[in-house]
Amino acid sequence: MNASIDPTAPDARPRRSRLRPVDRVRTGLGGLASRPGRTLLTALGIAIGIASMVTVVGISSSSKADLLAELDELGTNLLQVRPGQSLFGDSATLPADADAMVRRVATVEDTAGIIAIPGDVQRNDHEDEPNGLSIIATDGRVSETLGLTARVGRVLGVGEQHLPVVVLGSLAAERLGIDSIEGGPTITLGDDSYQVIGILESHPLHPDLDRSVLIGESWATERYDIDPNHSTIYIRVAKDRVEVTRPLLARTANPAAPNEVDVSRPSDALEAQTKVDDNLQNLLLALGGVALLVGGVGIANIMVISVIERRSEIGLRRALGASRGHIRSQFVIESAALSTLGGALGIALGVGATAAYASSQGWTLSVPATALGGGVLAALAIGALAGLYPAAKAARLDPADAVRPHA
Amino acid sequence: MTPPVIELRSVVRTYPGEPPVRALDGVDLRIDTGEMVAIIGPSGSGKSTLLNVMGTLDRPTEGSVLIDGVDTRELKERHLCGLRATRLGFVFQSFHLIESARVLDNVANGLLYQGVARAERERRARRALELVGLGERATTKPPKLSGGQRQRVAIARAIVAEPSLILADEPTGNLDSRTSDEVLALLDRLNADLGATIAIITHDHEVAERVPRRITVHDGRVSELTGVGS
Repeated sequence: MNASIDPTAPDARPRRSRLRPVDRVRTGLGGLASRPGRTLLTALGIAIGIASMVTVVGISSSSKADLLAELDELGTNLLQVRPGQSLFGDSATLPADADAMVRRVATVEDTAGIIAIPGDVQRNDHEDEPNGLSIIATDGRVSETLGLTARVGRVLGVGEQHLPVVVLGSLAAERLGIDSIEGGPTITLGDDSYQVIGILESHPLHPDLDRSVLIGESWATERYDIDPNHSTIYIRVAKDRVEVTRPLLARTANPAAPNEVDVSRPSDALEAQTKVDDNLQNLLLALGGVALLVGGVGIANIMVISVIERRSEIGLRRALGASRGHIRSQFVIESAALSTLGGALGIALGVGATAAYASSQGWTLSVPATALGGGVLAALAIGALAGLYPAAKAARLDPADAVRPHA
Repeated sequence: MTPPVIELRSVVRTYPGEPPVRALDGVDLRIDTGEMVAIIGPSGSGKSTLLNVMGTLDRPTEGSVLIDGVDTRELKERHLCGLRATRLGFVFQSFHLIESARVLDNVANGLLYQGVARAERERRARRALELVGLGERATTKPPKLSGGQRQRVAIARAIVAEPSLILADEPTGNLDSRTSDEVLALLDRLNADLGATIAIITHDHEVAERVPRRITVHDGRVSELTGVGS
């Protein structure tokens, strides 16, 4: 049986022991396949960690995608001008011709001014509970400029400027208990009764309009003794020209006192909300990270137990020629594979949970590819890391001791 | 001239302790190609240490072990492992089979750490299984086998790499007498027909008596037994 030995070179050093890469992986996976129940249970820890992280990222991403799509639809090219404060801290007013001046700016496509009117809004004249609703007079262009649409009935048209009719913001309608214009419902502003001709869709960019009752500006200025200066001017700017237009507006609206003008972009406020969400998301991600860490510790634990249980297998492999490195890599690969299995499971669970939640919210599913790839990589890295100690323990076993039968 | 398969020169192995234990106390031993040797000794005699040192699972404190003329003292870990993979075959009392792997894979594992490709490993494993009379059980898993069959699988694994020396540590220790006879007969046959060099470590004199050359171990020293048995 000495055919493999070259008799002419009896002192030649033996070849190094060697394990093909494919066999390296195969021996690593073999340990998992032989204990499917334990494998699955151990992988579960990682699966839960990855699933929660993928879900957090997925839900946040889906909601953000939805919000950004909505923002895009609502328009990020809408600016608003409001009176600010004078140098002495008094409330300023916009000049009467501010609207007309602003409209002359070349990059401005459309403007609409509104006047806030002090007064109470009531369903009828024998109710006096405060409901936090406000009255706004508009000049008829506001629906077009802001892209307001009616959920019920119609928006306030130019032809209805001189009539005692109102359009309700969505929240206003809800608070007044009106959800239809059938039967000609009326409301009371001060002492006057108005017919409701429409209810607006909710408008996320303008929550103040949702809480308002809209009446014609012409009617309001004729009927009431109010300050005719606009309290807000909405300005739709040519797309991509927002940044160049914005600095011009204060000077244009009030050349005499540009510092008394507040210029803002309503979509910024909504975008800021997504920033707030980032903090919450990071917190949830950190929690997912903790779950992942716990999963990793669980894997390390099971691997240590596995090394103890399999000492005779390790001894045998050493007797068959496995080097310490081969044993080490076997257990690191086993641990990494175990964790990666958990990661894959977690991604499936996480995407499933995200899809379910997104569909319940009417969002389109959006899970960033980086979350998926990152999930698998994180699991792989955690598994390999968790396997280092047990693998080193396995490699350190004294082969002579390990092959000996133990009670 | 072909060097001996294994040669121990003044091998001492001490284990630290108070006082230190001299498990091997100046062992000189030489086994030549084609020999079949029994190493006999009661438990505690140093026989397990001798087996471990011969099998390079343990290194001597003093002296040297040469396998096929290669001084194992001069080998680094990876080369020593390579030497085990190619030139030594082990048969253990408790078989050491991987229970979840097929018989064929268990035997093929004897070639795993030589870097032999799987198809070739399996081809040679089938041949080794034929030699031990288990050609039909290649796809069976060890739990379905009897003790004697398991030990034959382990023997197939030990011979699959065609090693220079097969070290069998109490190969019949877990078997009844009839099965023991079968296993010993198999080792006899491998020695006689294929020229395999085999060292059987045992405490059982009945086993030893079937073997042409016997070496006793006592208090860490070895001596040849002559004139008894066949």
